[in-house]
Amino acid sequence: MLDYISETLPLAGEALIQKGGGLMKKTVMLAVVGMFMATQAGFALAANPDSGPGCGLGHVAFQNYPHQKTIGVQLMEATTNASFGTQTFGISSGTSNCTNDGKFWAEHKVNAFAALNFENLSQDMAQGRGEHLASLATLMGIPATQQPVFFAMTQEKYASLMAAGETSPVALVKALNEAVATHPMLAKVSAE
Amino acid sequence: MGFWLQRLGPHGVFRTLATFFLLVLLSWLVPPQGFSGPLGDQAYLNELQDRAAVLRLAEEREWQVLLHYRRTWLGGVESMQDDPGFFLSPQGKSNPREELAATLTRFFSDDLVGRSKQPAQCAFVARYHWLQERLQFDGARLPPLPCERFRQWFDEFNAEAISLIFPTGFMNNPSSMFGHTFLRVDGKDQTPQTRILAYTINYAAELPPDTGIEYVFKGVAGMYPGHFSTIPYYLKVQEYRDIDNRDIWEYRLNLTERQVTRLLMHTWELGNAYFDYYFFGENCAYHILSLIEAAEPSVHLLDAFPAYTIPVDTVRRLRESGLVGEVISRPSRSTLVRRKRASMTNDERGWLDRLIRNPAGLKEDGFQALPFDRQAFVLETASDYLLQHSAGAGEEGAPYREKNRSILRARSELKVTPPDLSIQPYVKQPDLGHGTSRLGVGAGWRNQRAFEEVNFRGAYHDLLDPEPGYTPDAQIEIVSVGIRHYHDQSQARVERFGLINITSLAPIDALSQAPSWKFNIGMNTIRYNGCQLCSNGVASGGIGAAMESSLFKREVYFAFAEAEANYSQAYDEHHRIGGGGTVGMLTDLTDRWKLMLSGSYLRYALGDKSEDIRWFAGSRYTLSQSWALRVEYNHRDRDDDVLLSVQAFF
Repeated sequence: MLDYISETLPLAGEALIQKGGGLMKKTVMLAVVGMFMATQAGFALAANPDSGPGCGLGHVAFQNYPHQKTIGVQLMEATTNASFGTQTFGISSGTSNCTNDGKFWAEHKVNAFAALNFENLSQDMAQGRGEHLASLATLMGIPATQQPVFFAMTQEKYASLMAAGETSPVALVKALNEAVATHPMLAKVSAE
Repeated sequence: MGFWLQRLGPHGVFRTLATFFLLVLLSWLVPPQGFSGPLGDQAYLNELQDRAAVLRLAEEREWQVLLHYRRTWLGGVESMQDDPGFFLSPQGKSNPREELAATLTRFFSDDLVGRSKQPAQCAFVARYHWLQERLQFDGARLPPLPCERFRQWFDEFNAEAISLIFPTGFMNNPSSMFGHTFLRVDGKDQTPQTRILAYTINYAAELPPDTGIEYVFKGVAGMYPGHFSTIPYYLKVQEYRDIDNRDIWEYRLNLTERQVTRLLMHTWELGNAYFDYYFFGENCAYHILSLIEAAEPSVHLLDAFPAYTIPVDTVRRLRESGLVGEVISRPSRSTLVRRKRASMTNDERGWLDRLIRNPAGLKEDGFQALPFDRQAFVLETASDYLLQHSAGAGEEGAPYREKNRSILRARSELKVTPPDLSIQPYVKQPDLGHGTSRLGVGAGWRNQRAFEEVNFRGAYHDLLDPEPGYTPDAQIEIVSVGIRHYHDQSQARVERFGLINITSLAPIDALSQAPSWKFNIGMNTIRYNGCQLCSNGVASGGIGAAMESSLFKREVYFAFAEAEANYSQAYDEHHRIGGGGTVGMLTDLTDRWKLMLSGSYLRYALGDKSEDIRWFAGSRYTLSQSWALRVEYNHRDRDDDVLLSVQAFF
């Protein structure tokens, strides 16, 4: 019985792809391709090194990712670029511009975080709270007790901070540092 | 699988090259670790090797786990590890004793080994520590090396605990249907608010650039290398929560500090390693378990997965082994939006739906009349929605990002904080759902002929199975078979066989308009052209839409346009190809009782020109987490089939 199936099914499949029409073909491709792929599709990280923090991470956007609206073809496209994860974050992989044995160099941590989380950060700053903002504050060395003040400051200066952030994540971090340095309560802490 | 950098850019390439040459230059000028060469004396090496042989260390479980040895059919062992640099003896892949002897030898040298280019003591730091523990190295006769690189990497984690992270299945990306698992190293200085700063330990297949359709076959056949990497958790949260819209479950593992250290040491060693990635067997979930075995070799986790590994089964296995502590969920962005929207008044909901289409509405008096904290709540929800639709959408997401700017600017002007809503995923904790394999025993009638049936399904879940823990309105069946014995026949026959049968229903509402789709390859039995029980090969697929209501409890309606190809001896020209449509509904009558009805019409224009009208009515009653009752009625073209069965999940 199983022999019978293995003989007949490829035939049926072939006929389907040849004669089944565009929609059918696409559906078959999508399902077969997707089914046997790894358990997660790849990111396509597009980085513009010119505006970056010096390690190749500029404005980073997840591009060509198989979004709900555009499943299918992009699944394939997402995997056609050079590897980011395994090289940049590879364990004991030596040094790269951004990382050392898979961990961010200390001087790139803040800028990389801002570059990689720009959208979530902007939401948190507008709301004056959130885990991305708290994490950024921690990376910037702002003590937990002063963080509420920092959060309120980012909300207060949201428009000007975002104007800086639109040019580059580095500019956002720079603007944040300046805002901290000139803030009556935060400046004292960061100076200590 | 994994991450892909679109373009390094010319500057990046030059920088990399420049760094490389600089490093080469430096390595000539500065000899690493003083003088290369023997660290201890030959006599002590011989002594250690003799003691290791007497103690039969190579046969101990720890050594077997650290080298990833697995028994072979021929009675020997072989390591699953595929990078030759992972072994210090040329016979290491299949000879644990040789490998142990060679490892001891290399510990007496500071020559650089493996892909990570370190002295053996540092490249294989877990092996070193275990052997040191068992053989009590004399530091004077075998001087320990400082292993700066490992030390720095290890300290950077500042590890307190390990969590297993499980982003649940994601139907709209078929490659992610079963979910994924990876580890997160929770740092001592992190709080729940800064947990996203943790590094993860992720195992993923690396696909070469310009991979085409061939990766379907290569992936199944294990022809891609899988590597370990430490991607920051915030990137994984973005990937799963924001882009894929998947709920993430975080299982804190009960590991002692010593076990956490062992796990990290072994992870460091795996920087020298790759495994051939098998999408069904030795996949992400499998090798993540192997790391946990390295933390505590006395727990046997991998033995439970000889053939294939479904991520949720590995979570269940960990729970059964007593390794799972606190469980936390991180709901998907779409869950956040839906839950927040559900908590709003009709008026607020109306504003939300307007603002996400046109943020200019926030200037209107009606919106301004809402209390400030309610305005803030609506704006935050609108921002969540806009982020959900712009994340990962590239250029297509630009209009959403634009609107989000306006929404957030307005939000930043309201200096209030709306009360936090505790948000739970819609899907129950995955490891508390039914088992992924199913066995059924039943009886029924086909056109007045009585039969008994046994059926089995390798994996995973169908539309009528009990939902807790599974993505609602989604079906994935892989390798299912139904065997029947008709009373008037002497032999049993294979009545049905399914290779793959997938259905994804995505109810359309104000917030989401994703398509529904289905795909099926299998074989069933038909009555046609005088043939009473004829085997019929089927390949079909369809695309459609679904809607939901809550008139009774919860109802989902669906409609598909579909195409189908059949192959059977019963047809003229042995085949027929055509298209048609299906409409149907699913309804929960109670928490335990579910009903499904559907009707299809298909017209075959090629091969055997014919048409087919089908009805299906099915009902499931849940007895317990692992038991259910089914009644199914199938009508298709001159064929009536009723089956009553009891099903066990395991």
